[in-house]
Amino acid sequence: MNEKQVHKFVNRYLDATECSILEKSPAHFTVKLSPNADRELTNRPYYWSFVDRMGTEPETMTYLLVTDKQKYEAMANENEAASKARAAESEMDQATNAALNRSLGFVHGSLAAGVRVPREDLYFGSRKLEQLFDAAKTKGSFVYLFQEMDKKSPHPYSSSPYTAWLGVNMRVEFACDRKREEIHCFGVSLATGLCVEQFHDRLLNMKLSPRLPSNVHITRNGLSYNKALNIVEAALERKLKSYDYGWAGDASARLEEELARIKGYYEPLVSNAPGESKAAIEEQFAQRQAEIRWQFEPRVTASAINCGIFHLEGID
Amino acid sequence: MSFTNQPQMSSTDTGISYVTKKLHPLVDLQYDRSWFDELQNRIAKGGPWDDWTLYQLAMEAEQARRIESFEQLQCLRSLPDFEPMPHQIGTARKVLHEMGGRAILADEVGLGKTIEAGLVLKEYMVRGLVKRALILVPASLVLQWVRELNQKFGISAVAQKKEYTWGYDVVVASIDTAKRDPHRELVLNTDYDLIIIDEAHKLKNKKTTNYQFANLLRKKYCLLLTATPIQNDLDELFNLITLLKPGQLGGQSDFAANFVVDKRLPKNEDQLQEALSGVMIRNRRGDGGIHFTKRLVRNVPLALSEDEKALYDAVTGFVKERYDESGGDLSSMLSLVTLQREVCSSRDAVFLTLVNLFKKTSEDSPMRPRIWELVEKIKSIKANTKAEKTLELVKEMNEKVIIFTEYRATQEYLLQFFRTHNMTAVPYRGGMNRGKKDWMMDLFRGNAQVLIATEAGGEGINLQFCHHMINFDLPWNPMRVEQRIGRVHRLGQTEDVKIYNLCTLGTIEEHIVSLLHEKINLFELVIGELDHILERFEKGDGSIEQRLARLLLEAGNDNDLKQQISELGSSLNQIRGEVQSTAGDTLTSSNPHSHELLIHTDKLGQTVEVRP
Repeated sequence: MNEKQVHKFVNRYLDATECSILEKSPAHFTVKLSPNADRELTNRPYYWSFVDRMGTEPETMTYLLVTDKQKYEAMANENEAASKARAAESEMDQATNAALNRSLGFVHGSLAAGVRVPREDLYFGSRKLEQLFDAAKTKGSFVYLFQEMDKKSPHPYSSSPYTAWLGVNMRVEFACDRKREEIHCFGVSLATGLCVEQFHDRLLNMKLSPRLPSNVHITRNGLSYNKALNIVEAALERKLKSYDYGWAGDASARLEEELARIKGYYEPLVSNAPGESKAAIEEQFAQRQAEIRWQFEPRVTASAINCGIFHLEGID
Repeated sequence: MSFTNQPQMSSTDTGISYVTKKLHPLVDLQYDRSWFDELQNRIAKGGPWDDWTLYQLAMEAEQARRIESFEQLQCLRSLPDFEPMPHQIGTARKVLHEMGGRAILADEVGLGKTIEAGLVLKEYMVRGLVKRALILVPASLVLQWVRELNQKFGISAVAQKKEYTWGYDVVVASIDTAKRDPHRELVLNTDYDLIIIDEAHKLKNKKTTNYQFANLLRKKYCLLLTATPIQNDLDELFNLITLLKPGQLGGQSDFAANFVVDKRLPKNEDQLQEALSGVMIRNRRGDGGIHFTKRLVRNVPLALSEDEKALYDAVTGFVKERYDESGGDLSSMLSLVTLQREVCSSRDAVFLTLVNLFKKTSEDSPMRPRIWELVEKIKSIKANTKAEKTLELVKEMNEKVIIFTEYRATQEYLLQFFRTHNMTAVPYRGGMNRGKKDWMMDLFRGNAQVLIATEAGGEGINLQFCHHMINFDLPWNPMRVEQRIGRVHRLGQTEDVKIYNLCTLGTIEEHIVSLLHEKINLFELVIGELDHILERFEKGDGSIEQRLARLLLEAGNDNDLKQQISELGSSLNQIRGEVQSTAGDTLTSSNPHSHELLIHTDKLGQTVEVRP
């Protein structure tokens, strides 16, 4: 993700969670979070449990979110002139702070300043962006949606047929002591059992809404959710079976080699050990073997990123 | 015990429904079906349903985070604020791809072992292969590690303080704490995805509790960091490797038979190097580059004013009296020696200590009038010879300068003194919190010409932009002197570093300066050498500080003392000679930098040209 993509991502998140953007540029947002976003992003569980229990009006936090550090700082430098005017003032601040420091010890931040607006740099890999990613995931895991019709149907009494689909985005992890990942998006028609790949991309080209449009009827499901699940898993399995597992062969060979090495070290040790320490050494031997398996054993796991039921136009 | 062979991201929650199928003779496919259960659950209840935009964003986030290949280093694109050096990236790659995540990182001092370990940790975390990591370091380095991991790598590492801190994912702790109850059980009952042990050469003796503790830890990946992996004894190397990969060099007896002639002399070196190359990486400094700028040391001898001299003599007399009274009990006397050292620094420092001493004595103690006499003498002192000389020096150099003193009171006095002479000086001391320390550094980097510091061991003070240093007084522990110098004389320093030692003649200080400067030539030692010298020296009896204090108290007169200190210096010098000549045994002309090691390690890494 480059700066632009991050910026767009943040913008859409803030919109979707109904935060109020106080100020924005291509490089930053100053934003007052909505209660929902605040719960996800500010790490203040105690505050929120207080609000929930007392039923008081929450005071959400305001952040400066910088999405392009270089650009933002260049802009900030341009505003230097303005800040110079405030220089005299800040000198006063410093004097105040110095005085306070002497009597109170170090006081964090400036007491003379107004509301605290913490700054967060959002770049790929930064903790705040990770948190945003996670927040998107917790509130974007399970959906139930309907396609919106492109045009109103000509007859007010005619009704268009809709089909329900089970859509799921799967992350597949190929791991030994190393790891790589793939993402596969499946959709299964609950009417016919038809299974398509890249289902997510298909969805992105549609307008979807949580409300059932008018003049629409939904085809009765021909198969159960469990059956649909089996179809998805079978499709994935077929795909994965065709892969090259050279990497797993290498990992297994390494695993065997490492196990032999450990055996070579511990077996003489165990057999020479005096009775009382034998058990301890054997335990350590077992532990080392378990560690090595943990480290090298090749495995593939499939889990869902998110999923939903999608009602789409037509009968498939 | 059981290890979960499931991906770390989701396996920690129990009660997840897994289904396993055979995918390939060697590989199982495991489905995590928890999503399906939850979906059905929500369908049954009619919701709640999530937002379509957030659904798309979640997918985009996963696509951005996806690990495309086994090889490519993912962590590099998420570290915008710093760029690792090529050899550091190379090392991280090797650990990840060739060594399966278990390695000894043995770069020479200053090449960035911490960075390499950080890269490996970050990469594993980004890939979801490490969630729980434990970093064991000497207590003095805990905060530095925490800060580096947080600032450079964006890893939320936590310093272990309370018992509950063990619950965090990435914990930095000192091994001495971790091995004790109640921590011990908690640590030993955790399966760590990665364990990093810094200064791992301290674990070389397998009889120590630290070693045994380290051997009990349960881990998937493991990094041992040390600049001196093979120094005194080949068995130590064997022990280190056994922590990491037992059997890599065969069993203990195979190792002895195959690779050892004498405990200090290896055989079959090529094979040994071959075996080592699977577990150890050692990058060396190149010969081409100038590694460090020069250190120019100047001692500034000062004669005390009459008043000051009188005070010094009076205090010396006082200390001697107390010592004789106590009948040679040393432990209670150490604080009194401090008095003498303080007189050499400033009257403020000694005044404060005297006041505290006064408070501690009972009201009718005969000590009280004696202390009072000393205080009277202090009152008569109007000027500080050293401070005046310092001011003169600072004005003369007209550049940034850092002044070190051992005493808070002296620091306060100097701040005051500079203020009255219209110069801005900023303080720095250990007790300041992080924010204030950073602030002081900013001020010094900005307008202030002078920084007055009482603490040198503190992390984070990197003052490459300053190349003048005044030792207003000297610590007795040479390591602490070295730490002071290390603040300015380090990678990134482009100028020769000028060090001024203020030294009052006819006092204990004169002896110390001559010991450190002339006898062991501290100021010109190769970086890292002092460690070894002191380690050996202190195997004898007591730290160098204690020994000095004893000499001082026991010496009959000045000449006596001079001779004693000179002997101490000679023994240090002798050790230095030994350290260098053991190096000489195995010195290979082709690689002067491997000289501190028993085994050639030139195949275990690359040569790095580090330019200031």
